[in-house]
Amino acid sequence: MMDAIPHIVPERQVEPPAIEISHLQKAFGSKVVLSDFNLTINNGETVVVMGKSGIGKTILIKCIIGLIKPDGGKMLVFGKDISKLDHRELDDLRMRIGFVFQSSALYDSMTVRENLEFPLRRDRRKRITENIDDLVREALRNVGLENAIDLMPSELSGGMRKRIGIARGLILKPEIVLYDEPTTGLDPITSEEITQLILSLQQKYKTTSIIITHDVDLAREAANRIVFLAKGVAYVQGTYDELIHNEDPEIKHFFKR
Amino acid sequence: MATEQNTKTVFSKGLDEFFSGMAELAQFSVNVFREGIRPPYEFKEVMNQCYEIGIKSFVLVGVTAFILGLVLVMQSRPTMIEFGAGSYLPAMSSISIVREIGPLVTALICAGKIGSGISAELGSMKVTEQIDAMEVSGTNPFKYLVATRILATTLMIPILTVYADFISLIGAFTGSNIKDDVNVRFYFNRVFEALHYTDVIPSFTKTFFFGFTIGLVGCTKGYNSKKGTEGVGKAANISVVVSMVGVIIIDMVVTQITSMLGYL
Repeated sequence: MMDAIPHIVPERQVEPPAIEISHLQKAFGSKVVLSDFNLTINNGETVVVMGKSGIGKTILIKCIIGLIKPDGGKMLVFGKDISKLDHRELDDLRMRIGFVFQSSALYDSMTVRENLEFPLRRDRRKRITENIDDLVREALRNVGLENAIDLMPSELSGGMRKRIGIARGLILKPEIVLYDEPTTGLDPITSEEITQLILSLQQKYKTTSIIITHDVDLAREAANRIVFLAKGVAYVQGTYDELIHNEDPEIKHFFKR
Repeated sequence: MATEQNTKTVFSKGLDEFFSGMAELAQFSVNVFREGIRPPYEFKEVMNQCYEIGIKSFVLVGVTAFILGLVLVMQSRPTMIEFGAGSYLPAMSSISIVREIGPLVTALICAGKIGSGISAELGSMKVTEQIDAMEVSGTNPFKYLVATRILATTLMIPILTVYADFISLIGAFTGSNIKDDVNVRFYFNRVFEALHYTDVIPSFTKTFFFGFTIGLVGCTKGYNSKKGTEGVGKAANISVVVSMVGVIIIDMVVTQITSMLGYL
């Protein structure tokens, strides 16, 4: 009689959260910005980070993408510890993350086309099999600015610059997108257009997103969860409805109730 | 008493700034070598920068060099003739131009034009987050922006110097022909007869150091500029001053070494 073959049950692959931040600390001299920040963001989730100006929201996303080195804590992106990656590994990880700057940060010596081509040409993974020109045109079509392809950044309005910044941030079809105040400095109508643009792109590409903003309308429309950053920690987190009904004076004051 | 205290404070602040500036430059040059030798190499960007830095400076360097050669001969001629040394004008102009005027003037012009340009460009990229944008696109800005520019200045200043020497000698020939009728072949025969390897090699070698210094200072000051647009202007200004002083110090050191080796 044959021995029974042991039935090996394959270990279930558990997908790690897109971003896992634990005990993050960052100070500039004596000014402590993040003292013990903890946050876990699941794949496909949109988290809006709100808080007063200068509280450390931008520092947080710059730490996530490795532009700023934290003083302590652990940050896992796709399960990889950012602080333990070498330059090359970090660059490879960055290809999977899109970053939309508050100032748009368009290369002002390049045309819109060259701005969008830059990340595609620099993609070391060489996974771009499609024609670069087609990808650039698709990105511009997504943000409704196909006609701006040969303009210089100095010829664009504030809203157009934001749109091109978003197009550039998303051109590599990243799995995570970090938006730094995408509607700041825009009029209400353009802000609403940018909000709708972000929502439509999120639906199209199913990205995980962190949106830094003061814009309550954007937060209401886009967030699965809002994190209120105060005193260097994730002070309160919850849905939009939970936050607007929160009785904490700081939250109440922020939402002007 | 208060004035003395003030002078001491200004002096110590100046010393502090000087040494921290030197440390910053040293740290930056270490990083340039470390990043520059690691693949992948940015050949295309180096070529682009060589064009921006070198080719676009040809007209300015050429015009200046021509005028300097012309003026040098016109100013020296009366004195040389007075001493009965008029026939030495081609030799005098060639040695002056190749050994000193060509390399130094080219480097000083480039320190003003290229050094300030690099510094302002990198500085404005820094304050408008364009350098951060490059970094998040998976591009090492140190390699892409800094190493390429420093390599380009190191390669192009020697080429510009050779070109400036040649144009300046044409200027000197033109200057000689304003008052005298000098045959072009005779003039250039005398020019090249007067030159030796010991004139050409040290003066050519020092131009690589000039180029490296101009690129390094421009990039360091621009890359580390702070405080918005005011900081950018300040960085461009300091970069011109520091690179000019650096070029003159290198020139003095090379002259001393050449002299110690018995080539002067």
